[in-house]
Amino acid sequence: MTLEFLGTLRGLSYLAASMLFILSLRGLSTQQTARGGNLLGMLGMGLAVLITGIVLVVTNLGLAADAGGGGPTATGGRAVGLLVAALIGGGALGALVASRVAMTSMPELVAMLHSFVGAAAVLVGIATTLQPGGDGAHGAAHLIEIFVGVFVGAVTFSGSVIAFTKLRGLVGSRPLMLPGRHALNASLVGASIVLAVLFVREPGPEALIYLLAMMGLALVLGVHLVMAIGGGDMPVVVSLLNSYSGWAAAAAGFMLSNDLLIVTGALVGSSGAILSTIMCRAMNRSIWNVVFGGFGAAPSGPKAVAGAVPAGVVHETSVTEVAELLLAARLVIIVPGYGMAVAQAQHAVKEISSFLTEKKIKVEYAIHPVAGRLPGHMNVLLAEANVSYEIVKEMEEINPEFPKTDVVMVIGANDIVNPSALDDPSSPIYGMPVLEVWKAARVVMLKRSMSAGYAGVDNPLAYRDNTLMLFGDARQSVVNLLTALRAQA
Amino acid sequence: MIVGIPKEIYPRERRVAATPETVAKLIKLGLDVIVQPGAGDNAGYDDGTYVTAGARIAPSAAVLFGSADLVLKVRPPEPAEADALKPGAVLVGFVWPAQNKPLLERLAARKATVLAMDAVPRITRAQRMDALSAMANIAGYRAVLEAANHFDRFLPGQITAAGRAKPAQVLVLGAGVAGLAAIAAARGLGAVVKAFDTRAAVREQVESLGASFVEFDFKEEGEGQGGYAKEMSAAYLAAEQALIAGHAAQSDLVISTALIPGKPAPQLLTADAIKAMRRGSVIVDMAAEQGGNCPLTERDQVVEKFGVTLIGYTDLPSHMARQASDLYAMTVYNLVELLMPKDKGFVLDLDDEVQRGALILKDGALMWPPPARPKPPAPASTTPAAQPTKGTSTAASAPSQPTKKKGIGSRIALAGVVALLAAAGLAGPPELLQHLTVFLLACVVGWHVIWNVAPALHTPLMSVTNAISGIILVGGMVVLSSGTGSGESGFTADALSAIAILLASINVAGGFLVTQRMLRMFRK
Repeated sequence: MTLEFLGTLRGLSYLAASMLFILSLRGLSTQQTARGGNLLGMLGMGLAVLITGIVLVVTNLGLAADAGGGGPTATGGRAVGLLVAALIGGGALGALVASRVAMTSMPELVAMLHSFVGAAAVLVGIATTLQPGGDGAHGAAHLIEIFVGVFVGAVTFSGSVIAFTKLRGLVGSRPLMLPGRHALNASLVGASIVLAVLFVREPGPEALIYLLAMMGLALVLGVHLVMAIGGGDMPVVVSLLNSYSGWAAAAAGFMLSNDLLIVTGALVGSSGAILSTIMCRAMNRSIWNVVFGGFGAAPSGPKAVAGAVPAGVVHETSVTEVAELLLAARLVIIVPGYGMAVAQAQHAVKEISSFLTEKKIKVEYAIHPVAGRLPGHMNVLLAEANVSYEIVKEMEEINPEFPKTDVVMVIGANDIVNPSALDDPSSPIYGMPVLEVWKAARVVMLKRSMSAGYAGVDNPLAYRDNTLMLFGDARQSVVNLLTALRAQA
Repeated sequence: MIVGIPKEIYPRERRVAATPETVAKLIKLGLDVIVQPGAGDNAGYDDGTYVTAGARIAPSAAVLFGSADLVLKVRPPEPAEADALKPGAVLVGFVWPAQNKPLLERLAARKATVLAMDAVPRITRAQRMDALSAMANIAGYRAVLEAANHFDRFLPGQITAAGRAKPAQVLVLGAGVAGLAAIAAARGLGAVVKAFDTRAAVREQVESLGASFVEFDFKEEGEGQGGYAKEMSAAYLAAEQALIAGHAAQSDLVISTALIPGKPAPQLLTADAIKAMRRGSVIVDMAAEQGGNCPLTERDQVVEKFGVTLIGYTDLPSHMARQASDLYAMTVYNLVELLMPKDKGFVLDLDDEVQRGALILKDGALMWPPPARPKPPAPASTTPAAQPTKGTSTAASAPSQPTKKKGIGSRIALAGVVALLAAAGLAGPPELLQHLTVFLLACVVGWHVIWNVAPALHTPLMSVTNAISGIILVGGMVVLSSGTGSGESGFTADALSAIAILLASINVAGGFLVTQRMLRMFRK
């Protein structure tokens, strides 16, 4: 086996792996092909790791036919040992986490995994700089590539860590609004550019200090950017970080001249960018507004609105009454929100829907694009509870059905069913497409209390005459409701 | 304050203005309730149930009227009842002030305060007190049952071993609350339903109940104030009658509910139209009290003309006295509750649109009609909760425009990025340009592939891309393998890449496995 042959083999394998990744993402477009898509992704990754591993082992242990023999060197052996240890250790850890995580904790897991990609990009960047001998060969362009890679990686890392702590509830979900925060962001970026110039001007081991200083700034920037975003915008933040992690991988590809990394990073980067765009459209806001707007804190707006809305009559109801309504209905639509995820009520909700289906009552689920804290969060929870995806409908699909619906059950959702979004231009969420549940004959809102949603906006839906409020913890209410249904049927 | 619940004495009236349920609620408001013996007998509530709810039974009607400060009734009071009212008492019930001028004079003489359930304004906030809609709902439902009762065939279509039965054709004239209730009831029984209304705006509601809407193309808009139909010209009426005659001839059951407030009912079904109908057909003329939509209808009677049964009941809600009483009593209670603000006792608030609208007499002084309110801009805004309207659907489609503008903005941003990358490619080494080409192509491919992903799969997509971005693992390996790793910095480099590999492999394993776990849960 010659090194030349190995190089060709590696090139071909990388090409194959890139194709497999593209096919993998394509497979995810539909439910039927999604599992196959995931397998293709695994295959691609396996192939890429295998071929790179073979190259590493062959070069480091001097196994190549044209390497002049000489057997393994001391450092070569160390490299192989490190590789094996890291691969096995990381793989085992990952598998453990994946098998343990609860579906409601998916947002945190995803944020945490993003931070790993960011950290890895930073480490690879620094390691490349540290490598003796390689520097002069590539010149300024190469140094800039390293610099950019470390910058993106560091922002991704610290941003994801903050997103993780916010989603975990370790840090409050309210946005942090520092005075002059835009100036702060701009000066952080500016300082990084200055450091970049210094770094490129004086190559050599001493320049490392500039790289590390910039890494520090980028870490601060990542923390600050995510701290300034409210809890309700988390789906956008998570998908943005997803995008960043892709760009970080692509930047690493540039610095290592590795096309596989570039292609894969670009795929992931665009994927995250699209998800962010979809989420933003669902809220009728621009990405700039989400990232720099500090939405959900605006002290003047929501309060003024809350004052203007007449505190109308709220019709409180009981589980017995809701059970009667449900049993008398022909079409019931369930609208789950973050509250259902928090209360882990998805299994109990599924019990209710199967019970009603048995009684020949049609049940459908309506999912708003930004329900939950992660794109598609509700779908995953319902899937976990064994709800058939065929009765889980998207907003555009289900909105025309509400006028024909007898009962809508809103479980722990608020802003996504707020009629102000359509009819009150003074509302902060005006213009956001919402689920038009109020067109149904009856709406039952399961809520903990009359408090406002994440956007801090009062919901006039609660005061509508066809709305009944069922107060209490979502899971407890749903369980009680199930008991009442069984008792009455 | 003493509340009196008399027994209704109007012929064939079986409803009662308070049920034991609302009596208990009235007592909770701090009121003292007395009930005339037998008041609820016809509605299925005997005196004992009222006593259980906390009311007292008055010895006689005279004692009741003599002592009650607030009288709750269904029908307008008969002259004798009006005269028996305690001076200065409050009366709540149907009053029909436009048709009952002499009654108003009698009540004024008693210095009474009168609130008419039929004058409660039709606004969203007052829907809980909308007795007319509650009764119309019952009447519409019952009208279909009465019609079905006099009809000698099945309503739903059936194919049996003994032959085939076609579904009955039902025509509903006027799609107000009663008409819509009739449509729903007839649909529920399996009939094929058509509905006619001069107001084009109700089409959506008719169709939402599964009936087809009879188009009437005549240039004269029929929408009156406050969601009622208004009267039309003679030519209009003739065209209308012709259209209805055509549809009636193909119908087995006709439920006619067309009314114009304060005017006799429009004559929609002429004698000729009835002659043209099939023998055995049934017409329920719910407008009989206002003269009927058909000249042949006889008030409160069931008659047969030209082989067609004509039902002219004016007391349809009393045919379902218990249900009607339950709902009516609730609307009355809701109005009384409005008049009894917390801990303030009985207070009339003339600035309140609902109270001002319902108020007919105040201490004997005529307060009706109330000063005109500005005309509603569209029927939709008066009853938004009940009516899905076009207004809201246009509002829903409006926000799509700003997003389009933003789309252009992001395209410009994208173009900027491309230009920047191109510049870097020109200035940098050829290798960089080659990498940029690969990078941009991959971006385009990714962009197109991802748009097709179903929203339900966004979370799995995210975890897969997460796993895939663990490809940085390969980066770590490349650094590790290319290193000639001698010396201190070489060792550090190796260690750092090893950590990078460790982190990235957590990502790869974790991402793929959790995706697999998630996808396994998705099932049909």
